Amino acid sequence: MKHDHSKERIKKMCDMLGEDFDSPKCQAMAKQVNACPTCKVYYDTVKKTVLLCKENDCNEELPSDVNNRLMKLLDL
Amino acid sequence: MDETILVEKAKNGDKAALSQLVNAYSGRIYNLALRILRNKEDAEDILQETFLTVVEKLHTFDGRSGFFTWIYRIATNASLMKLRKKKLVFKDLGNDEEYNESMESRVFVDWSQDPSINIYDEEVKTKINEAVNKLSDIYRSVFVLRDIESLSIKETSEILNITEENVKIRLRRARQFLRDILSEYFEERVVNK
Repeated sequence: MKHDHSKERIKKMCDMLGEDFDSPKCQAMAKQVNACPTCKVYYDTVKKTVLLCKENDCNEELPSDVNNRLMKLLDL
Repeated sequence: MDETILVEKAKNGDKAALSQLVNAYSGRIYNLALRILRNKEDAEDILQETFLTVVEKLHTFDGRSGFFTWIYRIATNASLMKLRKKKLVFKDLGNDEEYNESMESRVFVDWSQDPSINIYDEEVKTKINEAVNKLSDIYRSVFVLRDIESLSIKETSEILNITEENVKIRLRRARQFLRDILSEYFEERVVNK
């Protein structure tokens, strides 16, 4: 039976997308995706998506009125 | 003071200890709720609901999980309940196998190296927010905990009470979903440059 290497590579890459990008498993896979142009573009754009979402998020300071209402509610 | 001691004191009715715990976690809980619900009023509701639950249920906290995991679980569950009550219709994520197969025939444009795609561009920020808003509850919670709050797979699985394998599957699907939504816009932007 003929192996579909592209399909296998795509599946392998997709399976790794739930891992930490800097985990050794993911790093090893990232090297392999260079052999598959579709996989490489896909992988790079997923990584960039996560990076953009992280950068877009900013930790908000708890507003003092919100904190005051919480303390009052808890009788603290 | 050690958190375990603070929790024990708060359990025994020590208001100063409870106050310290509230101060230690209120900012994080508010931000967690804000990230899941994406609305400040809702985030305040969740903040209050979480700490009222903490006060009410603190005597049941047995320390098997850490206090952080326990309080995050309360806040995440409350946030997800609120999100579900809003009855928003989220975009369907489809089937993994079909998705992988469709990839073989698709042509992807690489927008990852385009320097103009950055968060200093207001339009890019809007697109990112729109994409995250389309992410349904079960995927949004994993995405927020793992990719935004940088919690470990283990911590996320304990907070959401799902297996570590499930955390990975949900995270993968959330990332793919967001990539696809953003790509619709970014690919066009790069091609039309």
